Amino acid sequence: MSNEKPVQPEVDQEIDLALEKALGAPQAPPAPYVYDYKTSPNRQVVMPKTVPLSGLNAYLAEKAALEAAEEAKWQKAQADYAAAKAKAEAEGAPEPKAPVRVQPKKEPDLTVPVPSEAKDPDLLRLMALLGDGVEEAFEQSGELTCQVARERLLETLKLCREDAALKYEMLADETATHFPAAKDFAFSVVYHLTSISRSKRLRLRILIPEGFEPQSAVQVYAGANWLEREIFDMFGIRFQNHPDMTRILCPEDWEAHPLRKEYPVVGWGQRDVDFREDRSGMLNRIALEKAGQLGINLKRPKAE
Amino acid sequence: MGMREPSIVENILITTKVEKVLNWSRATSVWPLSFGLACCAIEMMAAGAARFDFDRFGSGIFRASPRQADLMIVAGTVSYKMAPVIKQLYDQMPEPKWVMALGSCATCGGPFDSYHAVQGVDKIIPVDVYVPGCPPRPEALIYGFMKLQDKIMNSSLADRYREVFEPVE
Repeated sequence: MSNEKPVQPEVDQEIDLALEKALGAPQAPPAPYVYDYKTSPNRQVVMPKTVPLSGLNAYLAEKAALEAAEEAKWQKAQADYAAAKAKAEAEGAPEPKAPVRVQPKKEPDLTVPVPSEAKDPDLLRLMALLGDGVEEAFEQSGELTCQVARERLLETLKLCREDAALKYEMLADETATHFPAAKDFAFSVVYHLTSISRSKRLRLRILIPEGFEPQSAVQVYAGANWLEREIFDMFGIRFQNHPDMTRILCPEDWEAHPLRKEYPVVGWGQRDVDFREDRSGMLNRIALEKAGQLGINLKRPKAE
Repeated sequence: MGMREPSIVENILITTKVEKVLNWSRATSVWPLSFGLACCAIEMMAAGAARFDFDRFGSGIFRASPRQADLMIVAGTVSYKMAPVIKQLYDQMPEPKWVMALGSCATCGGPFDSYHAVQGVDKIIPVDVYVPGCPPRPEALIYGFMKLQDKIMNSSLADRYREVFEPVE
């Protein structure tokens, strides 16, 4: 949006010039606008420390780490018991109490379903067709997820749409997530595919680092056009071969991308811009007062 | 010794001020701009429909063009992208014109203390009446409109030129 000033009448220009001469040139506020975070700590940006990205490998690794920790704890308890027992025998004291291994509680039925191995024929077919292009495929609470290599995304989308056994005709949604705490990637871009003829849904996922430009899905699914523009607007991910890679929600001259984690909720101050021109004459009146204090006579009747 | 009987001339003539007649005619035929931004506009439509009948106050004629409207009811969230459009619409309205901010969002940003929402439409255009509520009921809109009518009735033609001309002493 252009912030062009309206053409001011002669009197206003005179006042401006006189004031500028008397008080010095007006100073522009520092850019970009920064909030005083000490007075309003809630406006601070808190960066996440974890990577909440679901996946079978991540789940298995987490489970193995927990089991290893339990095992280490048990081994240490046993070693302590052996040492205490030897010490008691040497001193003739009564034998210490033996440690008891705590059995894990049986989980209630209301827990979140955990990811499991891919058994669905669609996922198996994708894995067979793409080979090592599939980084990870798993099922979770009946939802199919397939993470593919970011370079082979377009090939995968074409397969999903055109393969006779898959036939995912519709791209229901395309979106992204920012993971600033992850080491080898920054964003995940997710494609939600729907097969109307087979009543099935599939989620494709790619992980991309900062600055990577994935291939646009528009040539396979025309509906991806605006979805990718929204991703670009909100995250700053540019798509290759997209027909119109411009912002869709924010104004064209907006700075930064609002859904990134480092972006403060209240923004960088764009919304605090005062659009209001001097319609009530308040600024004019203040200028006249200041000019009067300085001994400058600027007042004259003005006809509309 | 009673009150003097009015003469025949006084029965057919009313003496008043031109300003008062102008204000009366303006206050009883305020044509709003049909302009809604969010859910408050639904309440504005309800106020205009048969149950609440905004037309009783002479303001039921929602105009589709800002050039024919006297009142802008800003009903809803003012996003940063919408702000210049609102300002342009306001500038296209002929004088005299009035603005009502309907609902929390238009008065102060409401729940949207966020990057995209302008914190009150008074950052863009001068507002005459603020109607709080999320969204306000049609009764609240009608009450706010009656307050605006009071304001119009009490306004003076000299107000606009008071800042420009020096007072006569």
